[in-house]
Amino acid sequence: MFGSPSLARLAPLLLLPALGLLLPGHLPQYYLYLGNVIMMYAVLAIGLDLLLGWAGQFAFAHIAFFGIGVYGTALLQIRLKLPFILAMPGAALLAGLIGLLIAIPATRLRAVYLALATFAFAEGAQWVFNAWESMTNGADGLRIPAPSLFGHVMGNDPAAFPLVATLLALVLAATLYLTTSKLGRALCAVRESEHAAAASGIDVRGTKIVAFAISAVYAGVAGGMYTLYESFTNPEVFGFAQIVLVLSMIVVGGLGSVPGVLIGTVILGVLPTVLRTTMRDLLVWQELVYGVILILAMMFMPRGIWGLVRRKRRAVRP
Amino acid sequence: MTKRVSLRGALFGAVAFLGLSAPASAAEPGLTDKEILIGLFAPMSGPLAAFGFDPLQAAKMWYEEINKKGGIHGRKIRIIVEDDKCTPTEAVAVVKKFATVDKVFIINGGSCTAAAVAAQEFVTREKIPFVMLNAAGDGAVIPPTRYVFGAFGGTQRTVGATIMEFAIKELKGKRVAFIAHDDDFGNSNWGTAKAVAARMGAEVVAIERIPPRIADVTAPMLKVRAANPDVVISTAYPAPAVLIAQKYAEYGMTKIPLVQAVQGVPIPAVFAKNVGNPAALANFYYGSPLNDLTDGPKQQKWIDLYKKYYPDRKAGAFMTYGLPSAMALTMALEKAGKDVTREKFVDAMETLDFDTGVLAGPIAFAKDRRDGHRASIFVKFDGTKHTLMPGTYFWNGKDGM
Amino acid sequence: MLPLIFQALASGVVTGCVYSLIALSLVIVYKSTDVINFAGGEIVMIGGYLGMFALLFLGLPYVLIFPFGAVVIFALGAAFDRVVLHKVLGRAAPGQSILVAMVIATVGLSYVLKGSARVVPYTEEVRRLPPLFAGEPIVLGPVILQPQDVAIVVIAVVVMLALWGFFAFTLTGKALRATSQNPRAAALVGIPVRTMRMTVWGIASALAAIAGILLAPKLLMTPDMGVIVILAFAAAIIGGFTSLPGCILGGIVLGVIQNLVGLFVASNAISVAPFVVIMLILALRPQGLLGGRVVAKKV
Repeated sequence: MFGSPSLARLAPLLLLPALGLLLPGHLPQYYLYLGNVIMMYAVLAIGLDLLLGWAGQFAFAHIAFFGIGVYGTALLQIRLKLPFILAMPGAALLAGLIGLLIAIPATRLRAVYLALATFAFAEGAQWVFNAWESMTNGADGLRIPAPSLFGHVMGNDPAAFPLVATLLALVLAATLYLTTSKLGRALCAVRESEHAAAASGIDVRGTKIVAFAISAVYAGVAGGMYTLYESFTNPEVFGFAQIVLVLSMIVVGGLGSVPGVLIGTVILGVLPTVLRTTMRDLLVWQELVYGVILILAMMFMPRGIWGLVRRKRRAVRP
Repeated sequence: MTKRVSLRGALFGAVAFLGLSAPASAAEPGLTDKEILIGLFAPMSGPLAAFGFDPLQAAKMWYEEINKKGGIHGRKIRIIVEDDKCTPTEAVAVVKKFATVDKVFIINGGSCTAAAVAAQEFVTREKIPFVMLNAAGDGAVIPPTRYVFGAFGGTQRTVGATIMEFAIKELKGKRVAFIAHDDDFGNSNWGTAKAVAARMGAEVVAIERIPPRIADVTAPMLKVRAANPDVVISTAYPAPAVLIAQKYAEYGMTKIPLVQAVQGVPIPAVFAKNVGNPAALANFYYGSPLNDLTDGPKQQKWIDLYKKYYPDRKAGAFMTYGLPSAMALTMALEKAGKDVTREKFVDAMETLDFDTGVLAGPIAFAKDRRDGHRASIFVKFDGTKHTLMPGTYFWNGKDGM
Repeated sequence: MLPLIFQALASGVVTGCVYSLIALSLVIVYKSTDVINFAGGEIVMIGGYLGMFALLFLGLPYVLIFPFGAVVIFALGAAFDRVVLHKVLGRAAPGQSILVAMVIATVGLSYVLKGSARVVPYTEEVRRLPPLFAGEPIVLGPVILQPQDVAIVVIAVVVMLALWGFFAFTLTGKALRATSQNPRAAALVGIPVRTMRMTVWGIASALAAIAGILLAPKLLMTPDMGVIVILAFAAAIIGGFTSLPGCILGGIVLGVIQNLVGLFVASNAISVAPFVVIMLILALRPQGLLGGRVVAKKV
């Protein structure tokens, strides 16, 4: 099980870039847009799941790192005239670095304190996006330049779709490596019991700090993906509702499992669209229905859809 | 082993979800000899639904009125309605759906500025005319871009410029205190207000930029009082607007006129009840982009029509704001002629200059102008009695630019 | 300048007590059931609206809307625990995932409550409940306060004392404390743990409802007023998150700091001040001002 993932496990990922090249010719932009949004959220959610589902750290700062990714990628292109291929990794690294700095004090905290400290950090970051007008253009929002990669100009859905799909595939591959590596085992050990992990020679705090930083890099990459197909951003995008959405994706899909998180992302990613188009004359009830769905999901499958699938499968076996 | 199979399964599942449907193409999408297809959207749910629900219904009503009169050049208007919840992401999704799935001819919608700005890039690239509903829309209409028309209730730049001019001209303000939010609305209205004050030679003695969710306005109001102004202006939203009026009275400032922008006083009677202190309204004024008091005869005519169409629904404060946009749209369609195209429609929109019977000033566009309405009236209000102040105030389109 | 500071301090104390009252309801839920209640603000909101509807449409006299709101919301909170959380608790894997599943369930509740308030046409406009104690403002030298302001401070302190007395001296209170410290041991000595959890949710929700009715005249009501819970969380964190007196202190510190920041830094910094304070407190003193030592949770 542990060690580097076999080629057979990585091969299916090639499907993503293939679809990325194939679909834009066949689908209306609207569906490509939904696809881009969902793939971006998948990266965001998998990154948060590394911290939450694998390392067992309940943190809210993710959305701030996402913001750093979006603003960072856009501003490195606008201000420093960097090409996208440098701007996005630059922004992701910046997010990782800030994640590292936050992790050093934050990893001393437990459960509710960690949750609330990182929540405070996220609110603070949103305030900075709003107040630092000379850099982010504040509440008026920032127009994101259409990025280009080797002469291929993006900034619209069909053009961005192949790259977004490829990035998702790369992130998934990286996640497979990560979770089967020694670090992945250390993360699980820390989640199960910090005492036992420490007793077996794992540097608990160091592991948590690394998890924080890696998770922040994922959020930064998701931010870069956002700039590929969106042309505008403002501080509102990085609010509490957003982090709740990503959390719901993880929990509804299945904490601590990549397929589970992907399922959750797709379901909650299309849910608003489904509610909007099916509730025609009852639009005002959407919020209520959304809440009921969340509650029911937690009541009947608190380990997520993936947990349910796994249990069913186990039950089928003799 | 299980993991590998499942991951692949998830990927195939995602593909299946996306589904395959072949796009069709037409010369002029959404247009046939019998029909013009318009995509209409507004927040119909969520926190800002009150801004969009009635305006959207009002626009729908206008289109039905036009259809009853035989349509435009023999074509009936058909609309598709979507809900954007006033969030940029949902607005972009809705606009992309209209353009690439429903294939509408024109998009009409948007009650919130950020949502409109987020959609702007896409409609410009696809060359689809986008006529906003009732969003202030500052960021989407300034600087102007060819396919986007808006500000059918006036931009926040108009709000800021007219409220400052009113304070200086009518209320003889020489030392003005200005309270605005620290968001995009505040940026825009404070920007023009500052410019008008500078041009007319009034001093701004205090400028307080407050967060929209402020729970206690003590600190900003203490600073306003300490600055010793002769007029206090607020462009805050309804809840902080009430808190500001209360503190203003508590701190004994009622000798100084207080002027609030339309966004703080959507329904004056409710505002007065919320403030709960008649003394706070002894010297109180509010601005409005409409041509009359909200229940005045010029507005009542629309309210009556709305009642006929939607007997179950009492018109909210923003209902009539939805009409001018639909009026402009149908007027431009009429002007563009029988063989209308999207480009001809945009050209026709650019030539509009007409009175809506709803708003204080005319709706006008030009090659370099995309904000339709630039006027405000002001009303003195003591909690029960509304008195229309003389004159209509205009933003000149230059101050604060 | 000095009179300004006095007024800002006094107002800060009052607003701080608003945060404290809501924080109390969050803290007793967390102390006893380990759940971070993200619907805390929406329960306050529903309490306020319930009070207003009872006043306007049922014609109840003002003093009766408090017990009315408290009883209805007690039932709502207890039912939520019994029907939803109990089920989540029974099915989730122990550890972190339970905490997260519970949080998402309360987030779901917050959407349900907001969504229910939103479909009532009356909530489209900002509303304000008339104050319980109306009358002339009270002038103390440079400080002006409304009678309702004084009532809020007094009631916050009384509620805190009453809760403290309840947990320290009554049998039910002691049983609740035992349940929160070690549910398995509590069950072994015959404490009905399930009923205890329900009771806590009921009490906390009733408290939030009373807070809602008390605060509605000051805060103004919209279906989105629940966002104030963020400030209540801040107050609770500053106070230590498990300490009732800490809650009151935390709220007051927060209210005062916000006003001083508004006065001396900038009005738009008011909204970020709580989060800077949280981060500073947690970096320097992770257990909060009055929180006990952080103890590792037993498995």
